[in-house]
Amino acid sequence: MMPALCNRILRRSGFVLGLVILLLFSLGPFLWILVTSLKSPAQIAARPPELWPAFDFTFFRTVFAQHSFARYALNSLVVATCTTAAAITLGTLAAYPLARLRVRFRRTLLALVLMASMFPQVAIVGGIYRMLSAAGLLNTYPGLILPYTALTLPLAIWILVSFFREIPPELEEAALVDGCGPLAALGRIILPVSAPAVFTAAILVFIYAWNEFFFALLITTDPAVQTLPVGIAKFPGEYEIPWGDLAAAAVVATAPLVAMVLGLQRRIIRGLTAGAVKG
Amino acid sequence: MDDPRRLGQVLLLPALLLIGLLLLLPIASTVITSLHIDTPFAPKRFVGLQNYAQLRDDPVARGTIEFTILFVTVSVALEILLGLIFALFIHHRFRGRGLVRASVLVPWAIPTVVAAVMWKYMLNDQYGFINLLLHGGHIESYRAYLADPGGARFAIILADVWKTSSFAALLILAGLQAIPDELYEAARVDGAGPIRTFFFITLPLLRPAILVALLFRIMDAFRVFDLVYVMTQGAPGGATQVLQFFGYQKMFPEQQFGYGSAVSVVVFIIVAIFSLLTVRLLGSRIFEESS
Amino acid sequence: MRAMRWVIGAAVLLVGCGGTPDRDRVIQLHVLVWKANNPHAWDEALRRFHAAHPGIRVVLEEGPNSSTQLHDLLAQKLRNRDTSLDAFLMDVVWPPEFAAAGWTLPLDNRFSEEDRSRFFPGCMSAVTYEGAIHGVPFFTDSGVLYYRRDLLAARGFDPPRTWNELVEQAGKLGARWGFSGQFRQYEGLVCNMLEFVHAHGGDLMHPSSPVAVEAVRFVRDRIIGTLAPRGVLTYQEQESLDLFKSGGAAFLRSWPYAWTILEDPAHSEVAGRVGIARLPAFEGGRSVSTLGGWSFGIHRHSRHPDEAWAFVRFMTGPEMQRHFAIRVGKAPARRELYADPAVLEANPHFAELRPVFETATPRPRSPIYPRISHILQRYFHQALSDPESAIEELARTAEEQIEGEMARIAAAE
Repeated sequence: MMPALCNRILRRSGFVLGLVILLLFSLGPFLWILVTSLKSPAQIAARPPELWPAFDFTFFRTVFAQHSFARYALNSLVVATCTTAAAITLGTLAAYPLARLRVRFRRTLLALVLMASMFPQVAIVGGIYRMLSAAGLLNTYPGLILPYTALTLPLAIWILVSFFREIPPELEEAALVDGCGPLAALGRIILPVSAPAVFTAAILVFIYAWNEFFFALLITTDPAVQTLPVGIAKFPGEYEIPWGDLAAAAVVATAPLVAMVLGLQRRIIRGLTAGAVKG
Repeated sequence: MDDPRRLGQVLLLPALLLIGLLLLLPIASTVITSLHIDTPFAPKRFVGLQNYAQLRDDPVARGTIEFTILFVTVSVALEILLGLIFALFIHHRFRGRGLVRASVLVPWAIPTVVAAVMWKYMLNDQYGFINLLLHGGHIESYRAYLADPGGARFAIILADVWKTSSFAALLILAGLQAIPDELYEAARVDGAGPIRTFFFITLPLLRPAILVALLFRIMDAFRVFDLVYVMTQGAPGGATQVLQFFGYQKMFPEQQFGYGSAVSVVVFIIVAIFSLLTVRLLGSRIFEESS
Repeated sequence: MRAMRWVIGAAVLLVGCGGTPDRDRVIQLHVLVWKANNPHAWDEALRRFHAAHPGIRVVLEEGPNSSTQLHDLLAQKLRNRDTSLDAFLMDVVWPPEFAAAGWTLPLDNRFSEEDRSRFFPGCMSAVTYEGAIHGVPFFTDSGVLYYRRDLLAARGFDPPRTWNELVEQAGKLGARWGFSGQFRQYEGLVCNMLEFVHAHGGDLMHPSSPVAVEAVRFVRDRIIGTLAPRGVLTYQEQESLDLFKSGGAAFLRSWPYAWTILEDPAHSEVAGRVGIARLPAFEGGRSVSTLGGWSFGIHRHSRHPDEAWAFVRFMTGPEMQRHFAIRVGKAPARRELYADPAVLEANPHFAELRPVFETATPRPRSPIYPRISHILQRYFHQALSDPESAIEELARTAEEQIEGEMARIAAAE
């Protein structure tokens, strides 16, 4: 009895230790930034660095007062939400025929779509900039939403196609027999069933649009339209890097995503689990 | 029979139009530009494959390709390994599992630019957290990790592994959860220990999931940019120079659009080759006709 | 809540009544600048401009502070003939590139000879390319040496005139480190190394000359890791300033901006104990200081060049340069302001710095300076970060690469 119990305890503690390491590894840097953002200005350049903050909100106040951060956050929200809506809508509409209906050149199209997402984005900025400039869309919301949608469509389509394929065709056939058109079948049968995959695609698109930096930097120069990552890039003063302000900005930029992830982790995992990765 | 076909085409149109216009067209434009010399100082000039020849002979480019391949190999290997370990942990049922799973997702949710700034701050040689961790209060032993080629490379790899292991973990977790419990039952009944079970049942059945994670990660690792841009700018002396950053340097600061485009095309070709290879191993069922 | 209503009411009234009567005859100017550290100074400047020019409305577009990022942004707009851009700020090394690319409007016919002579000659030559003037200097800048007055006084030292003197002194001053500077792989590295290489008799376009190689060897062996922590290889301006202002180093090479920060007890632990001096020379040579600064340029394809010129003229005029010098501490590019009592009161160190500004050394002036800078950055950083680096070889490679690029541009690519 004793050796087995010892064994159990060892395994348990090993497990817990592993968990703690995992948590520290994943959350450590973020916690450090959180601590930094709550320090008082005097604590920032302390050598060696202090571990416990003074719970001073100076940096957060500065971030919102001096750096029009609320505006950047709003812009990020608008752009990310619209991109997600557009990508999911267009993606679903496109994934359905690619998965279900007989479309000419289906394989080529799918391959083309996937290849499009493999190209280094740094290179296509120039071309996209010229187009947006000609259309007068620089420094506007659509100027960001359109490229972001184009960049995330391949991923959304890919996820949705692989998921749609796993749905047994009998479901639709039953609906079609009942007199539903294919579009109605899409709306009433397929979508509800594939909610997890749609959800996952939505999250991936949202996070991408929220975090995107390089395009936003080059396309927007008007603070009224700039997004959070650009706002953060503009933080370093001419010769100063205000670590405290940056930390507070980082927390603000990340908190919504972290909250979303915390609240929706079960859905996210279910979405990726169910169907998208069947061998 | 024509109706669903037509409908299909109509449904596809908006997405294809957007992708065609804003993605494929610029890509084509870049490929064409790679065959020219395109700088602000002279009219655009067609030169065929000269840029590619210059790339082949450029020692800086060679060093860049070497490090990029090193980066991809080491990072992806570590990410898959860590992802596997994480997935195994959060696959178990225990109290607070939800919180742990959410924590694992946090690095993935943080904007790369923010993460890069965070790491740069933590690696600072005067008040960095890493130094605090490794040397405590002895500030004399604090080191500037980003000043040495080895240290800088390690830092970039660490930052990338930290950020994306969770993504690999998620994909592998999906595969883990798809393995039916009966197989484990059967193994237990047969008297197989946890190690044998892992190597003979779990791992083989995880192959598709691991390969998908591999595919995504390889595609992304070859195009790493934000991390290098913020953390090292290719320093020290080009030790952490990666292909996409090299291409960016040629195109934007140096305004050599032809040469920079050639670099991007090369990156694309490399990514495409690796992806095709991985898809080969994975099985191309994704592209097949449906039943 | 009550107060809010008043504010909103007042705002509505102001907007309703304050608009210019001839709305359609107001010309909008778009000017790209970096994000200001002191937005109030800029707001004040704009206010005065709008008061003096009611038919023009200036919209400031903000780019990041990083010179590289601003360059990327600006180049993108100018390459694409973005006619919505009228004027912009240029770093001191950009005018040749922008002029050769046909992005800037030559200003010879608007910028009078008499006015030109009022600016530092170094600043003027920085905005001149192939005989034509492509910008108007706004601020100037150059490398200086900061030192701990108290530590030197305690040992009876005068500020060092040569680098060897500095090395000797630093060892006896008692600060943890002797020297702090910017040696990260970025443009600032070129600025720092220019000072060493030129002071030693070499020049940046010929890195493989023995004098240039010796200068690099000096820095690698006598400064990095010995006088200064190895961390300086990762420092830009802020980190190097941090080390000095926390008392960790006895000497600092930086720009004049640091003075205000160092003298502010709220930010600096060495306030009141700092001196400023010319950078040391090498034995038998002279002190060299890198020229920095910013100027205004006008977009060649701007739809409102005359209005843009009015704005540029205003911002670079004596009144505004004085305003920025006093409010923000920026070193004016107009020489007469260095005798101005108000400017000197706000910035006493300007008096000592004037001769340095007069003779500051520019970086290589070439349309392909970014490529040259990248080559030099890689070379210097590699040479400095490896104690066993083969400097001559690296220098030869760098020089070959520079020659290659110059040949390419000469053949009109």
